[in-house]
Amino acid sequence: MIIESSDRVSRLSWFKRFPIPRNFKVTPESRIEKGRTWPAPAYAKRVKAFEIYRYDPDSGGNPHLDTFHVDVDDCGPMVLDALFWIKNKVDSTLAFRRSCREGVCGSCAMNMDGTNWLACTRFISDMGTNATIYPLANLRIIKDLVPDLTHIFAQYAAIEPWLHSKTPEPEKERLQSPEDRSQLDGYYECILCFCCTSGCPSHWWNGNRFLGPAALLQAWRWLTDSRDEAKGKRLDALEDPFRLYRCHTILNCTRTCPKGLNPGKAIAEIKKAIVEREK
Amino acid sequence: MNRRSFRSPLARALGLGSAKSGAQHWWAQRVSAIALVPLCLWFVVSIVTHAGSDYAVFAAWIRTPLAASCMILLLVALFHHSALGLQVVIEDYVHSGVRFVVIILVRFGCYGLTVIGIVATLLIAFSG
Amino acid sequence: MIKNGTTDGNSTPARPRPLSPNIQIYRPQLTSVLSIANRITGLILSLGAVGLVIWLSAAAAGPQAYGVVQSVIGSWAGQVALFGCTFAFFLHLCGGIRHLVWDTVHGFELRSIYISGWTVVVSSVALTVIAWVISLLIAGWPQ
Ligand code: HEM
Ligand code: SF4
Ligand code: SF4
Ligand code: FES
Repeated sequence: MIIESSDRVSRLSWFKRFPIPRNFKVTPESRIEKGRTWPAPAYAKRVKAFEIYRYDPDSGGNPHLDTFHVDVDDCGPMVLDALFWIKNKVDSTLAFRRSCREGVCGSCAMNMDGTNWLACTRFISDMGTNATIYPLANLRIIKDLVPDLTHIFAQYAAIEPWLHSKTPEPEKERLQSPEDRSQLDGYYECILCFCCTSGCPSHWWNGNRFLGPAALLQAWRWLTDSRDEAKGKRLDALEDPFRLYRCHTILNCTRTCPKGLNPGKAIAEIKKAIVEREK
Repeated sequence: MNRRSFRSPLARALGLGSAKSGAQHWWAQRVSAIALVPLCLWFVVSIVTHAGSDYAVFAAWIRTPLAASCMILLLVALFHHSALGLQVVIEDYVHSGVRFVVIILVRFGCYGLTVIGIVATLLIAFSG
Repeated sequence: MIKNGTTDGNSTPARPRPLSPNIQIYRPQLTSVLSIANRITGLILSLGAVGLVIWLSAAAAGPQAYGVVQSVIGSWAGQVALFGCTFAFFLHLCGGIRHLVWDTVHGFELRSIYISGWTVVVSSVALTVIAWVISLLIAGWPQ
């Protein structure tokens, strides 16, 4: 009932999805059709079924849901291992992103059992009996579990994620006291996996104008950096009914961040800073 | 194909640029919310304690200066808060140009209802 | 013609790429459920506010009009609507106070978010029941 950290999967849930029609607001090309079922190998003793979103851009068809039966004894403990098992043993066309397989690169973010997380740090044993794997929510899909991140990376670029400074460059490094450095804790660790932005309902409805939690957390990371000299300019660029104030403190972002960061809090800090300079 | 697709991703993300406003709206929503806490509680307590009373008792209550003042303050804060809140809801879900019309109508509706409510309160307060 | 899916991320393929499902599959959590509840209750209260103005106007028009409105409120449908408004009010009030605390950048740890969330649920149910019990004790059961 009380979730203390974002890695906790809620065991108890009154309903698995919002009570709305399956095809609510879904345009024809995005309709998900029934796919095929791939049985487990005959020798498999412990089998787990995964329903996985598939989309093949070259088939001309719609996305569909395939069911794969995975031999759990034959694969590693993580969901990413199950995906590899499927790709190696069942269907080599299954596409997904991954690199580090230890939660530092952010590539393998996807929607598992209804919430966003990293496939490499989610245990298969934490998945429900009807395990479902979708790509990150609300993104244009290139293939299977690979979403097009162009727009959300452009939103990240829009907050100018680099040091702005007018003071001539010092001979050695720019100094920062340990206290000032600690202001970046909880923000600099962001791996840009976009679990938060993809899980934010406000970004679903207004993603073209609302910057979303990942970009806004990064915005605060630069706003709170003692070496940065563009605080005012940054706040000017953020103060906008859509860019910033579309955040309604829903906090799906904080609930889902696989690094345990707090985009919701970062956004509240920005709103507070804007009031502080005005009042 | 769609010519807009040749805009760069950054151009699309930047859109029309920052409005450099929005804090006022947000602040006013919070200020009206803070005002509403005591006003709404006063209202609910009054209604609960007047449950089942007839017209004479009710009118006598509104005629007290405190009740009339609180009712007018409540109407102002309530409809201000509501207009601000409804505008956000409309901006969230209505993306066509219709939203400008709807936002204006909601504003007018809220201001109109505020005035009607205040006049009604004053009529009761100064009647009889 | 550009073959679908063979383009890089910057250009739009010939056939629009499908949008991955969002609200259709995203699991409801206390965070999103209470947020949408705050919005729905805000909308209900806005309707309730219209009712308040009708009620005041009827009272201003005189005892007869007031009597008509009172009998509508006193009907079972009226009482159910009033009960709904009371619950909506307390839920929105408690949720609103939670929002105001967040606006001071407090209570953002997940543990606090969940504790305050359940507190909102429990206290709004309790306050609704208390308000109705007291009012029924004062007025007696409506006919
Ligand atoms: C009793 C004290 C009240 C408090 C403390 C309060 C507080 C708040 C707050 C803080 C918000 C902003 C939430 C957000 O950022 O999403 C809000 C939104 C809203 N409130 Fe209230 N409110 C109160 C009463 C009312 C009443 C009586 C009404 C109806 C007239 C109302 C209507 C709304 C509406 C329509 C919204 C917009 C909902 C949204 O943006 O999702 N509120 N309220
Ligand atoms: S707190 Fe703001 S950014 Fe985070 S999920 Fe909610 S609306 Fe989105
Ligand atoms: S804040 Fe967390 S969820 Fe969001 S992009 Fe960064 S690491 Fe991922
Ligand atoms: S593969 Fe790098 S975060 Fe999962």
